[in-house]
Amino acid sequence: MVTSRSAVMAACWLILAFLGSAGLYASLQAPFLAVMQVLVYAGAIMVLFMFVIMMLEGPVMPAEARRPRPWMLLGAVIPAGVILAMVIWTIKGVSLPAFPQNLPEGFGQPLSMAHHLLGPYLLAFELISIVLLVAILGALALGKSERSKPWK
Amino acid sequence: MEVGLTHYLVLAAAVFVVGMVGFVVRRNVIIMLMCLELMLSGVNLTFVAFSRELGNDAGHIFVLMNFAVAAAEVAIGLAILVEIFRRRRTVDADDLNTLME
Repeated sequence: MVTSRSAVMAACWLILAFLGSAGLYASLQAPFLAVMQVLVYAGAIMVLFMFVIMMLEGPVMPAEARRPRPWMLLGAVIPAGVILAMVIWTIKGVSLPAFPQNLPEGFGQPLSMAHHLLGPYLLAFELISIVLLVAILGALALGKSERSKPWK
Repeated sequence: MEVGLTHYLVLAAAVFVVGMVGFVVRRNVIIMLMCLELMLSGVNLTFVAFSRELGNDAGHIFVLMNFAVAAAEVAIGLAILVEIFRRRRTVDADDLNTLME
């Protein structure tokens, strides 16, 4: 995804990556999240990306003019390598037990999610809805054409 | 070999790092936003893996919140991008250097 020149191809690879992580969620006994990943990420968010790519660049996306400068590549790869090495080194130090075989009843099922969301995490649930509402309003305000803005 | 928490954590770190490298290296703002999504995806995978490890699915709630934050971020980010494109006719981060001049 990072190396593909055209934004459309990058978006396609990203959809593939999201579908793959939905599969990983399913393998981690999180069926609800797997479905949400496909619906929200691979569906809604990537449609938004595709829409903007098509709108801004037209069907023929010009390839990126400049190749990444070497110092830029260096500045990206060194911190990335440090982070990866840190994670692997930390994990190597401790012996992590295998995944437990007996999970609680209804683990990761929608009912359990609902009990969490409308129970201890009710405040977070309400706040995130406000975040989404403000995001919608902000996107609308930004998207309005210049002349019809009421504050102009 | 049994697949355990370690493998998921390393994979999540790798996904995060790929997103990070892409964010720094690429200059197309659309692709930079996509790399942000990839980084969030790596973090989500860590949450789900630890949730499975601890047998407590409260971690899934954090992932759901992350979904909502990512959606809001993309909506705002792309709206700003469209507005920039209207004014400057470019989506290249190197051309958006008004504050540097």
